[in-house]
Amino acid sequence: MTDKDIRDSLPFRPLSRRSLLKGLGAGAVFSATGNMPGFSGNAQAGQSINYMCWEGYNSPSILDPFQKSNDVAISVDLITDSAGGFAKLAAGAFRDFDLVSSDCPWIARMGPAGISRFINDADFAEQYAEFYPQFRAPFAPLQFEGKATGLPTRWGWVGPTVNTKFDKLETWKSYAPVFDPAYRDKICLLDWGDWPIMPLALYAGVDPYKKLDDKELEEIRKVIRAAFKNTRAIVADLATAQKGLIDGSFRCLIGGGTYCTSSLRNTGHDYIQSIVPEPRNGMKQGIIWMEATGLIANDRDPAIASKFLKYIVSPEVAVKLAITEATCNLVPNQKAEALFTAQQKSALQMDYMWTAWDNSHFHTIAPNIDDMLAIWQQELAAR
Amino acid sequence: MRIEHKSWRDPLLIGATVPLALIMILFFVVPLIMTGILTFQSSRYYRLAWTWDLTIWRDVFGHSHYWVVMLRTLGMSLACVVLSVLIAYPVAYGLATRLGSLRHHVTILITFAFLTDTVLKTFGWILVLDQNGVLNWGLSHLGFEPGAVNILFTPTATLIGMVYNLAVYPIFTLYLSLARIDRDLQLAAYDAGASRFRTFFEVTLPLSRPGLYAGAALVFVLSLGAFLEPKVMGGGNAPMASELINQSFSTRVNWPLGAALTLVLIVIGSASLALSAALTLRRRGGEQGRLSDVG
Amino acid sequence: MPSAIIEASRIIKDYGSFRALHSVSLEVGTGEFVALVGPSGCGKTTLLKIIAGFEEPTSGELKIAGSNMDGVPAAKRPVRMVFQRLALFPHKTVRDNIGFPLKLAKTEKVEADRRVRAMLDLMHLNPSYLGRYPAQLSGGEQQRVALARALVSRPGVLLLDEPMSALDVKLKKSLQAELKNLHRNLGTSFVLVTHDLEEAMMLADRICVMRSGRVLQVGTPSEIYYRPVDTFVASFIGDTNLFPVSIANGQGGSVAFSSPIIACDSAIAPKAQCSPTIEGDRASLLVRPEAMRFVEAGNAQPFATLNGKVEEFFIKGASIQFRIRVDGHPVPVVMDLPGTPNIPAAVGADVTIGFDRSDVFLLQE
Repeated sequence: MTDKDIRDSLPFRPLSRRSLLKGLGAGAVFSATGNMPGFSGNAQAGQSINYMCWEGYNSPSILDPFQKSNDVAISVDLITDSAGGFAKLAAGAFRDFDLVSSDCPWIARMGPAGISRFINDADFAEQYAEFYPQFRAPFAPLQFEGKATGLPTRWGWVGPTVNTKFDKLETWKSYAPVFDPAYRDKICLLDWGDWPIMPLALYAGVDPYKKLDDKELEEIRKVIRAAFKNTRAIVADLATAQKGLIDGSFRCLIGGGTYCTSSLRNTGHDYIQSIVPEPRNGMKQGIIWMEATGLIANDRDPAIASKFLKYIVSPEVAVKLAITEATCNLVPNQKAEALFTAQQKSALQMDYMWTAWDNSHFHTIAPNIDDMLAIWQQELAAR
Repeated sequence: MRIEHKSWRDPLLIGATVPLALIMILFFVVPLIMTGILTFQSSRYYRLAWTWDLTIWRDVFGHSHYWVVMLRTLGMSLACVVLSVLIAYPVAYGLATRLGSLRHHVTILITFAFLTDTVLKTFGWILVLDQNGVLNWGLSHLGFEPGAVNILFTPTATLIGMVYNLAVYPIFTLYLSLARIDRDLQLAAYDAGASRFRTFFEVTLPLSRPGLYAGAALVFVLSLGAFLEPKVMGGGNAPMASELINQSFSTRVNWPLGAALTLVLIVIGSASLALSAALTLRRRGGEQGRLSDVG
Repeated sequence: MPSAIIEASRIIKDYGSFRALHSVSLEVGTGEFVALVGPSGCGKTTLLKIIAGFEEPTSGELKIAGSNMDGVPAAKRPVRMVFQRLALFPHKTVRDNIGFPLKLAKTEKVEADRRVRAMLDLMHLNPSYLGRYPAQLSGGEQQRVALARALVSRPGVLLLDEPMSALDVKLKKSLQAELKNLHRNLGTSFVLVTHDLEEAMMLADRICVMRSGRVLQVGTPSEIYYRPVDTFVASFIGDTNLFPVSIANGQGGSVAFSSPIIACDSAIAPKAQCSPTIEGDRASLLVRPEAMRFVEAGNAQPFATLNGKVEEFFIKGASIQFRIRVDGHPVPVVMDLPGTPNIPAAVGADVTIGFDRSDVFLLQE
């Protein structure tokens, strides 16, 4: 996707309060955005930060030291859906937030959409210097017309999750078993928006990250329909998916990867691995996902938010962010690598990460995402 | 109960009803109107666009899969109503007539089960119904082959979850109805020569109708909105309306579509209730009106 | 007494440790009207429920129409009940309420309809009521429907559990009269439970007075009124005068009695006017209020006299009731005189009252 594509897909600026009120549905929009984080309860602290983030970022071991040393109170609004979080900010909630941690593609569009500030890479040179070379400035996935919308914070890959007690790793060199009658009623699709669609599209030989024509969308419909044949469940809940993976009732989770398996590996289930399939007909089959943290473009001073951004990518904090109770994920900070224990490194499959990186697409927002989701909805209803 | 004929010009009456009317308008009518307005807009790249056209409705009426899900929801809800009532009736009957001093203990137990977090209870069922779950473990000890019951992640499991979570409503409404029936009416039926069986169908069942209908309506309405059970126990394999609406709002960030599907569900639900109410009234002639005079 | 349709012998009923009936025996003759009376909690309703089959006796034997009722359910007994709160089915029309026993007995439709209409006629109910629901009827009309439902299948015995307790006095009076008529015309045995002895006396051939789960006395209204077995039975029917007296056996089996407040030349009561249960040297002298009269100087002196002061009087319609305070007697003496516009004594007047020997009855204190 070129910069121009992004601009074309974003023909709007955030609505001003006035233009918002012009619509009769203004109330609906406001009520739909749900609980706006309040500014109450922060009286004892000097400053306050309102933070929209995925789980993990809100861990007390991360937030508490920062709140204490900076005399700042952080209110957290957890998101469970990157698109939903974006929509909420876009509908006007951006005025109330200072920081956001979400999927990289969504952070990337916040800059051009006026929701997020562009950052000056030079201000974060110290941080970039600690990153793996792959993440150093200028980091393309977060760039828009040469300006960065935030810093990368967590990452991993999407590919087959294999329980080696039941399957050999070689079996999953490709997604072929998903469609093999021998795996009937043994496949779990993760009900996480576009995530399960992308790997299936890649297997069908369609690059879902480019603009698709009707023929390609039809290919995607076919591959989704074929995958549904062997699907035991479409699971939105990580614990259920992990349980099935361990007891063998799910032989593979589609749409997941390290995000689903690292925490299991870290708690002793090291026979479970996330791999990336080998390229098929010249098309890479893996997907790299990444989360990033950006500064919200409200009318307040971004100094403290900016300080938090430097804090969250620092090696000590990155380690805490990498190993949380629910999930374990890689971080872009190379200096942090030395702080992990051998067990944690193994859990994160660090010896495999660059292999995965080399065989993967980088996850961005697909131009035809809504078409694909609509196809998903239709095929699901027709089962 | 006699209803006095009061004039709408009575300032006391107006004073007494206006606050309630305002609350109803504010919290029910206005959101409904706004939902309706939303359906004439469209969604572009995760943003609401004020287009004022019929795009969304053309989408809704142009695609059968929305209706497949709606009809499935209706069918599941009706099945859930029937099963819930069939299970709730004996329980409520036992509570109201049989259990004596144990009644309060059982009521407290049911209330506790009712108040326990639904999410927790629903996930608990996975441990029971799983291929290597409690049920199959028990069955294997009884000589069944391993994994004899494979219903987790099927519509059957969804239905079990829905009935489990919702049957408590008719238990309570039926209990209230049954407990209010004068015991002498049953004795009078015995006295007139009726067996227990006959007495139940001639006296107890007809007089518990208010509780039956209230319970069934509650289960029906709540079933239409079932979200957790199809997702967790049904394994997302046969999504119901709320899942469709949630997908539209949250994954596709298409609020106009979500709003339109919401309205469709509301209309289907209201129409079903109205239809069953009309049929009931017609079948029973003027009796309904008479009954309201009793007492 | 005609042959008995109900024979209850030594019926005992326990509710846990509470004994509701202490070995009660009662017979009801075919076509007889028997009233069970007593204060609430005396066991009269329990006895009725045992007859109806709603309660099992703890021990004892119950026969109806010669058959032992042990284990026979209510539905199979040749008795029908009219409930205290009537228990009309609120969801059934008058037609369906009355016709319910016929429907259960699978009576042919035309015949059932004929009998329902006949009952309606018997109860003086308008045929247009057939399609109405109980809630659309007045209290008296509901009463008649309840009676009609109980009688439509021509039971051998009709049980009535205080069916008129909720009605106002006027309606009660007219229904009592109708009930009496109905009994006379149908020849069905009636067993009426009531706490109102007056009602029982008006309606019943025989009265069974109960207290604390025991039968105190069974007898005709006259026997109950004039020959009560004890002071409880005597005072259960409204106002009465009971004077404590000392007694001694006189000649010819008669009883001599004396009281410090009663002036009497030869205070002797014939054996026939003494309860056979009297024991010891103390008894109660019963004189009904209507047996009392004023004694004026110069007129013929009655058997016995008392001196007192008029405390108050009430015009009761057909009669005037005086309450006269007599020194040495804890409660006012009650006297009913035939009604007259000229009140014979003013409040506060000193009076002498008296009664005749034939009006006294001696009973156990």
